[in-house]
Amino acid sequence: MADILVYSDSLNTAKELAFKGKEFAAALGMGISAAALGADADETAAQLGAFGADRVFVSKDAALEGLQTDVVSDALAKIAKEADATYVMVGSTRRGKELAGRLAQKLGAGAVTDVNSVELEDGKLVAARFKFGGATVARETVDTDIKVFAVMPKAFEIEDPVAGAGTVVTPDLSLTPSAVKLVETKPKEGAAVNLDAADRLVCIGRGLGAKDDLTIVEAFCTALGGELGCTKSLCDWEWLAENRLVGLSGAKTKPSLYISLGISGQVQHTVGISSSKVIVAVNKDDKALIFNHADYGIVGDIYDVIPVLTEAVKGK
Amino acid sequence: MKIIVPVKTNPDLQMVRIKNRQPVLEAVPYILGDLDKNAVEAALQLQAEAGDTQVIALTLNQGNRKIKDTMKEALAMGADEAYIVTDDALVDTDQAGKALAIAKAIETIGGADVIIFGEGSHDGYSGQVGPRVAELLGVPEIGFARKLTPGGPGIQAERSMGDFIEVLEAPLPIVITVASEINEPRIPTLMNIMKAGKKPSTDWTLADLGLEAADVAPKNKILSNLAEEQDRKNIMLEGDVNAQVAALIDALTREGVLEA
Amino acid sequence: MEKVDVIVVGGGLAGLSAAYGLAAEGLEVILIERGDYSGAKNVTGGRLYVSPIRNMYPELWEDAPFERPVTREFITLMGEGNSTTIEFAADKFAAQPYQSYTVLRATFDLWLSEQVMEKGGMVIVKQRVDDLIKEGDKVIGIRAGEDEIGADITIIAEGVLGLVANKAGLRELPSWKDHAVGFKETLELPKEVIDNRWHLAPDEGAAHLFMGGVTKGMLGGGFLYTNKESISLGIVLGMKDAKERVDKIDIYTLLDDFKANPTIAPLVADGELVEYSAHVISEAGLSGIPQLWGDGYLMTGDAAGLALNQLYTVRGMDFAVASGYYAAQAIIEGKKQNDLDAVGPAYEKMMKESWVLKDFETAKNILHFIENPRIFSHYPNAVGRLFDRVFTLNDQPTDSIYTKVMSSVKKDFMNVTTAKELLGMRKI
Ligand SMILES: Cc1cc2nc3c(=O)[nH]c(=O)nc-3n(C[C@H](O)[C@H](O)[C@H](O)COP(=O)(O)OP(=O)(O)OC[C@H]3O[C@@H](n4cnc5c(N)ncnc54)[C@H](O)[C@@H]3O)c2cc1C
Ligand SMILES: Cc1cc2nc3c(=O)[nH]c(=O)nc-3n(C[C@H](O)[C@H](O)[C@H](O)COP(=O)(O)OP(=O)(O)OC[C@H]3O[C@@H](n4cnc5c(N)ncnc54)[C@H](O)[C@@H]3O)c2cc1C
Ligand SMILES: Nc1ncnc2c1ncn2[C@@H]1O[C@H](COP(=O)(O)O)[C@@H](O)[C@H]1O
Repeated sequence: MADILVYSDSLNTAKELAFKGKEFAAALGMGISAAALGADADETAAQLGAFGADRVFVSKDAALEGLQTDVVSDALAKIAKEADATYVMVGSTRRGKELAGRLAQKLGAGAVTDVNSVELEDGKLVAARFKFGGATVARETVDTDIKVFAVMPKAFEIEDPVAGAGTVVTPDLSLTPSAVKLVETKPKEGAAVNLDAADRLVCIGRGLGAKDDLTIVEAFCTALGGELGCTKSLCDWEWLAENRLVGLSGAKTKPSLYISLGISGQVQHTVGISSSKVIVAVNKDDKALIFNHADYGIVGDIYDVIPVLTEAVKGK
Repeated sequence: MKIIVPVKTNPDLQMVRIKNRQPVLEAVPYILGDLDKNAVEAALQLQAEAGDTQVIALTLNQGNRKIKDTMKEALAMGADEAYIVTDDALVDTDQAGKALAIAKAIETIGGADVIIFGEGSHDGYSGQVGPRVAELLGVPEIGFARKLTPGGPGIQAERSMGDFIEVLEAPLPIVITVASEINEPRIPTLMNIMKAGKKPSTDWTLADLGLEAADVAPKNKILSNLAEEQDRKNIMLEGDVNAQVAALIDALTREGVLEA
Repeated sequence: MEKVDVIVVGGGLAGLSAAYGLAAEGLEVILIERGDYSGAKNVTGGRLYVSPIRNMYPELWEDAPFERPVTREFITLMGEGNSTTIEFAADKFAAQPYQSYTVLRATFDLWLSEQVMEKGGMVIVKQRVDDLIKEGDKVIGIRAGEDEIGADITIIAEGVLGLVANKAGLRELPSWKDHAVGFKETLELPKEVIDNRWHLAPDEGAAHLFMGGVTKGMLGGGFLYTNKESISLGIVLGMKDAKERVDKIDIYTLLDDFKANPTIAPLVADGELVEYSAHVISEAGLSGIPQLWGDGYLMTGDAAGLALNQLYTVRGMDFAVASGYYAAQAIIEGKKQNDLDAVGPAYEKMMKESWVLKDFETAKNILHFIENPRIFSHYPNAVGRLFDRVFTLNDQPTDSIYTKVMSSVKKDFMNVTTAKELLGMRKI
């Protein structure tokens, strides 16, 4: 029987894929299997079973250490064959996105990465993803026998686990260790934030003149009771941590109030804010693109506007 | 050492407008992708550190009438040589087709020690081509590099995994994809632009790579590619800062997103 | 220092025209343009008179990406609460060879820059010339950032601001008082809608000019040109008037008011704004033209003050192309004769003997004429009053048409000022 096979290096994403994958599988008359790879595979397997996987392929092969793409793609290709998978859905995390291309190549498959949503249409799964930096949404199908989708984390919502566990399968993968060796991992500074969940979101862009001036913006966030997000450059300069990035390569947010400060409004950013209920933009250039995306626009210098705003939102 | 940088030239997204939900690509000039410029810059920096290194820019022409001019930018930045593969079959190919053509081109050039891709192309951002080429060439691969240093068994790379950073080591040959934070691409100087015109540039077709159109036929089908409908109020608040802010607070309160 | 035959500073029409002529003759020419592309930021109302320049590069104009030939002329006088429009169509305007076309610079200049490259000229974009290099009084090359390049001749084609030439001491900057400022929007409309609104046969175009209320009586006017699938709509305003009135009128709102005017609103309705731009134009006429050449350099186009505001139209593009052409011809000849000292004088001679400087001579007086504010306030209103009387019917006994017209004419036109102005008009 044909299967949908799911895998992600992020447990949460793997659960989402298993949960939604089961629904698709049922509609397509397929089975749903999952892969759990690496040292904590047993625990992962139990969870994925609980979230819907009929079968979980488990491997704790030492070669999987560090989850290097060449080895993981090898493992998954072998599992996909064994599971007779028609669809392979992996999480489009950083590792997952990298994995998708290599895996698809091994399987002679077409692939779609950064998939934001999947729909069932005429017996086929149709994947939607951004194109042109987020200006458009392309809906694609894959025509090869095996099809690889890399699906963005949180694209699918999960409900409570279903009772029961999947059958555990232990395939013989005979993996070769990667030539890429992990030397060390270093933590990145910056507290954990969850921009997806923020109800009020303030984003700061290159209009900010200096890193030190972040204190002004942070004071405003505090007064508003909102989270702080930013555009890509500020992450690249390490002014703010990557988990504060909003847009194509960062969070897709849906706050009720989004306020942009000194942001030009290029599509790679605005694609992450389009689900906001109300959008406010402050920019000193009255021709800035961001005003096209805004409900309310203030033409002005953020250094003049923020202090006044900070006072005005206190207690609101 | 030999470094090959596959670069894509794509329509200047800042000039792409949306009309009736469709992107209007007519008359939009092509430019070198942002992340691909990061890749070229990374290659040039490796060249500077390692010495005695050749940097080759390689592109598959996907409908850019002025590909030679666009590629001059890579040469003006400092690449030593360019290879341009032009073929009608490449215009509508997909990542699998591109990866195959790039891998064949790399082989035809005579292989490379390091192949540096952008983390994703500027317009598509699928990030598949690099890993696919690594697979086709049977070499290891490091994605999303934010720092590269020659050394160890071949190369040391740092990559950001979101919450933490990984430091990796690998022997050559290797495929690398770079993230934008790795560097600030240099802007070519006038003199280098003038010299770029005199650098070697080779034109190939698919046949020169031993490929046929059918080999790069797309495996994916795009059903539609439309802009999402956006309907915003676009109200500009007038007056001095105090008046603007007062009007804003008033409006946001009425919208129910601020409390009265 | 690397050296080439000719360096062209600026890739507008003047610079491109010069580079094209030189490259076609096989000279080594480098054109340096600071914009992302030629045409990216260049502002023009949108009408290129091709007749004067047709024979300069005949092969070029055949495939040029023109928008529409102008076959229909409209002039609207905007009075207070009324407007009078004259529509003019002549058979000869509607037949080949067309005398003028509407153009979009982003397309047109980019295309011309491709033609230059095809002829072997080097067009370098995204680079700004910072300075000219001089040896004594002789210009011997340019500096851009760290780089210096030498040339036998440098062609200055940097446009109206003239900063490079000024910095090198080649010319004074003209006074702001001698400038007009123009701002313009491009609005997209379907082809058929444009055809209908301006009564056009397919692929024909209209030029529509506006006077009076559009500038609130200030020196200047409004223009509207039909492109293939868009219209270019803008206002040109004398800087002096604009500055003196600045406390009363924010000039940037003029365009919005213009579009909201009941005469214009239906013409531009549903047009989608795709571009906004603003630029200055020289209004100094002949007196604003500096020395056209010096040792090692030639001045062309707007950089040489070659723009003319003729009340019913702004001309500059044809002058730009022509001056670039003559600059190229003079250099080609000088190279042939191996006498570069002859280039400057030869260029000036060609410019003087051709229509280029003759047209400036002719237009000398128009500038005084249009400085008269009555042209922009009194007359549009007077004409409006005249027709208002002709067309108004109410519950009072009506006068005969003759009486209506004459009473209006007596009041608004038969007076000493108007008579003087009529006399003045003979000179233009
Ligand atoms: C593949 C790819 C993925 C990307 N992903 C993302 C992403 O996920 N998120 C993202 O944000 N970007 C992303 N980008 C980058 C994106 O293209 C833009 O470069 C970025 O969003 C621009 O950031 P900005 O608006 O802060 O800067 P700019 O475009 O430089 O704009 C700064 C703005 O600030 C205004 N300003 C300056 N000073 C002041 C002042 N004192 N007061 C008021 N206004 C002022 C200016 O008028 C200007 O409009 C991506 C790019 C690529 C190629
Ligand atoms: C609102 C408006 C309406 C007009 N309408 C018409 C019309 O309908 N018909 C008509 O014929 N004319 C019209 N004109 C006039 C016409 O646009 C100009 O006369 C014409 O563009 C002059 O061409 P140019 O090549 O001399 O200058 P420009 O077109 O201004 O080109 C100069 C170029 O030099 C570049 N440059 C400047 N400095 C440097 C530097 N330091 N280094 C490198 N590059 C540099 C600039 O980027 C620019 O591309 C209008 C002008 C305006 C403003
Ligand atoms: N047409 C092309 N020619 C050369 N390299 C390409 C081409 N398309 C993509 N690439 C390379 O592959 C990377 C990833 O592209 P993509 O998979 O399309 O996101 C780019 O950053 C380039 O380095």
